[in-house]
Amino acid sequence: MSEPLLRVEGLTRHFRVGKLLGRQKLHAVDDVSFELEPGEIVALVGESGSGKSTIARLLARVYKPTSGEIYFDGRPVSNLRTRRQRLAYASDVAMVFQDPYSSINPAYRVTHPIERGIVLHRRDVGRRKREAEVERSLAEVGLLPAARVAAKFPHELSGGQRQRVGFASALAVKPKLIVADEPVSMLDVSIRIGVLNLMTELREREGVSFLYITHDVASARYVADRVLVLYAGHLVEEGPAEDVIQRPKHPYTQLLLSAVPDPRAELGISDSADVGEPPKVIDPQPGCRFRARCPYAIGECETVTPPLREIGPRRLVACHVAERDEAPTAAVG
Amino acid sequence: MSLPTVADPLEPAGATVGSGPPEEATRRSVGADLFRSVIHNKKALVGLGLLLFFVVLAAIPGQIAPDNPRAKIYPPGLGPSIHHLFGTTAYGEDVFSQLVFGTRQSLLIALLVGGLATVIAVVVGVSAGYLGGTTDGILSLVTDVILVIPIFPLIIVIAAYEKNSGLFTLVVVLGVLGWSYGARQLRSQTLSLRTRDFLEAARVRGERKSYVIVHEILPTMTSLILASFLGAAVYAVLFAAGLQFIGLGDPNSQSWGTMLYWAENNEALGAGMPYWAIMPGVCIALLGAAFALMNYAFDEVSSPALRLRKLERQGVDAEGAEVVQARPADPRNILEVRNLSVAYASEHGPVVAVDDVSFELAKGEFLGVVGESACGKSTLVYAIARLLGAPLAGEITNGQVLFKGQDMVALSDKQLRHIRWRDYSVVMQSAMNALNPVLTVAAQMRDACEAHSTMTKRQIEERSREVLRLVSIDPVHLHSYPHQLSGGMRQRAMIAMALLFTPELIVMDEPTSALDVVGQRSLMVQIKELQEQLGFAVIFVTHDMSLVRHFSDRLLVMYAAQVAELGRTRQLFEKPLHPYTHGLLEAFPSIHGAKERLLGIPGSPPDLLRPPAGCRFAPRCPHAFARCEAERPQLLEVDGELVRCFLHEPATVEEPAKEGVA
Repeated sequence: MSEPLLRVEGLTRHFRVGKLLGRQKLHAVDDVSFELEPGEIVALVGESGSGKSTIARLLARVYKPTSGEIYFDGRPVSNLRTRRQRLAYASDVAMVFQDPYSSINPAYRVTHPIERGIVLHRRDVGRRKREAEVERSLAEVGLLPAARVAAKFPHELSGGQRQRVGFASALAVKPKLIVADEPVSMLDVSIRIGVLNLMTELREREGVSFLYITHDVASARYVADRVLVLYAGHLVEEGPAEDVIQRPKHPYTQLLLSAVPDPRAELGISDSADVGEPPKVIDPQPGCRFRARCPYAIGECETVTPPLREIGPRRLVACHVAERDEAPTAAVG
Repeated sequence: MSLPTVADPLEPAGATVGSGPPEEATRRSVGADLFRSVIHNKKALVGLGLLLFFVVLAAIPGQIAPDNPRAKIYPPGLGPSIHHLFGTTAYGEDVFSQLVFGTRQSLLIALLVGGLATVIAVVVGVSAGYLGGTTDGILSLVTDVILVIPIFPLIIVIAAYEKNSGLFTLVVVLGVLGWSYGARQLRSQTLSLRTRDFLEAARVRGERKSYVIVHEILPTMTSLILASFLGAAVYAVLFAAGLQFIGLGDPNSQSWGTMLYWAENNEALGAGMPYWAIMPGVCIALLGAAFALMNYAFDEVSSPALRLRKLERQGVDAEGAEVVQARPADPRNILEVRNLSVAYASEHGPVVAVDDVSFELAKGEFLGVVGESACGKSTLVYAIARLLGAPLAGEITNGQVLFKGQDMVALSDKQLRHIRWRDYSVVMQSAMNALNPVLTVAAQMRDACEAHSTMTKRQIEERSREVLRLVSIDPVHLHSYPHQLSGGMRQRAMIAMALLFTPELIVMDEPTSALDVVGQRSLMVQIKELQEQLGFAVIFVTHDMSLVRHFSDRLLVMYAAQVAELGRTRQLFEKPLHPYTHGLLEAFPSIHGAKERLLGIPGSPPDLLRPPAGCRFAPRCPHAFARCEAERPQLLEVDGELVRCFLHEPATVEEPAKEGVA
């Protein structure tokens, strides 16, 4: 197999917490590895505190990894030395932020971030052509009429429109990968789907890949080819979206799916049993991080951190008790 | 010196969240916006006028003053007359001419000191706030030291070394000592900006640090920088005059302060010549006032809350609001809301956030209130709980809220206190904001019990443990502080507090929205179990219909301040009547069934300042026809439910709309 677009190996990020002399470490992301192919949409699913936003910021080079390496197009990201190399990476990997109300500078027109992206990363676009290029980016994300939208200030646009500006700014640098950190969670229900559809359209039209970071499993199923499930800094399950959602193998994924409010399903009473929450991982001992909430925990879970192991075609799970993924017909229970 | 308040320039002035883009598409700059707001502000106009007056005096004193200010050609000590407007000095100079010629130096000092102090304040404040760490530590220390130095004595010492110090020394000394207040404000503003995503976006884009500071941070702080400049200018005018008065300036210079110095030396009051001292004093006060007025004006422009003092009642009347009938409440209902309207004051006029809403809530019933942001759902429940603070936070303009037959709208604050918490309680969206961070859970429960009951300490402790157990929190957490609890436990603790007196109604405003899916689900189940066990009624506000699907008896769907649909939850999910409800149900993907492409609801909710003339949903409705744009639909009763839509009028039911809506 050829080199994937993005390969993350043993990615780890710890934060020092507590008092000046206290040497406690918060393990936000621990030993996470995954790959992303060109043109693929991968969803990274997890609850708050699972480390998913930290992974986004590691990919965007806002944080440096404690250990582990990110390979983009086969080249290690930690090797970027010159400003030129760093700019090239910034042009390859763009980011869309969660909060559309704070991700655009209120002092400028909404075109400011798009224009800056072009100035920084597309030297070939001359001053004269820039305006046309900005308007083309706006039109690409469905903000029409583009000339009119270009004259607006952020507060004159709705949340959904601002989030589209976020995608236009990301697209303007002609990236190969867009890291979208919860791009719809702060939008109203009625307009979320439009932004999700935009991601799939852009993938088809521009060939750009997405790492879609979300807490919402249903939206992950809707847009993603593959799903990665993150719990307390560990990757616990991975596989094609439909397989993971229809036949979750990790007990945490099962719990997460059972909690999704679904008007079309009847209420299962057993859902109420779990009142636990993801732990803050400070100076952890080995062992499964989900064990305290897990109904299937065995002795081994207390002492040995379960590694990701293959349980089916392209299916990985980090659990001592999970069974193999059987053929679809047999597995649904 | 006027102290500008730290305004948040990032809050759009009176902007309605989710409003569509206004029609005009002219290219305007931020500067032009600021200019327009200033033109409409009386304080700014008076201040500008005064300043302009002094600028003219400073620019062309020769053309205005009748005499050379140094010409000792008149009899000394003349009183005011037509020839000498404010008399002559002890040396026979014209006082009026001296005033006019003195303007230049005072104004120059104000502008130069203001400029110098602001530049230092910006550099220090923004660097400290943005760079953080050791840089911040050192810069903040310097700022604080300068801030607490007793400036006046220090300046006297410095000025004494520089005898006959000229303008330059004065400006440098005042500038170097006058920046610390502005720097502190700019630092805290920068700190609050640092977490904004647009700065991170700029870094991810590949911008240099210097670009981020100069082009991303500074432009958002224009009004604060202006305020800092004006504040420093006022301070400079006063201090310079004071220094010159005590003789620390150049006594031969032409300035108001020097005039005061000579007036004092020649015993103006003893000589019966108050004009020598009064007139320069008046000029200093007026110039100071000019800067101060402009400073206030910028404050007001950047925080509209200072401007909107009273909600204009005209034009607030809600659409179709009827005269409320004095009909007694049904004893089976715990709550009856009748024709309730709530309006907010905004810069561009009143905004009706709740428009003629009526519903009934039976004892022990669970009502879900559903809608998008800015649809008025939170305002509605705040109005019901009488938690609105007029006028910026909204004011009830019409209607009744009958709680156990008593009209809450008519109750005084004192009467409200008797029933609040005992008979009904409120659970807010964010427990982190609603709980006091410096008090333990036990202390907050004790406060509530002491304020609303005559329970003994023992009883309170017992009851507190009891309610915590009710919400599945181990009573050992009673003496924990809010930050020691997890997010889910904090929300449960809030609900426990609401249960202290076993109220008959609990109003919940998105209590689960800060929680993760798993926590959300278990909290919902818990609320439902408690409700069945204790029998209270619930009004539950949420933006997520599917969340209340299995828990609420009835649903109230709000759109653009109005009731769009009200009906039994099950029926509403199975057969939504309003196209908006239908759209909401189809708006989001499921984890079950076949994967299908969804479209959501195109467009965005209307601007409540200018709602559409006809049906408010018409611009986004796939079934809209001519009548929807022209006429306002009223609530219709269909199969025991209420819906605001022409599609369900008996005459139009046959039309093509049928297949799409059902």
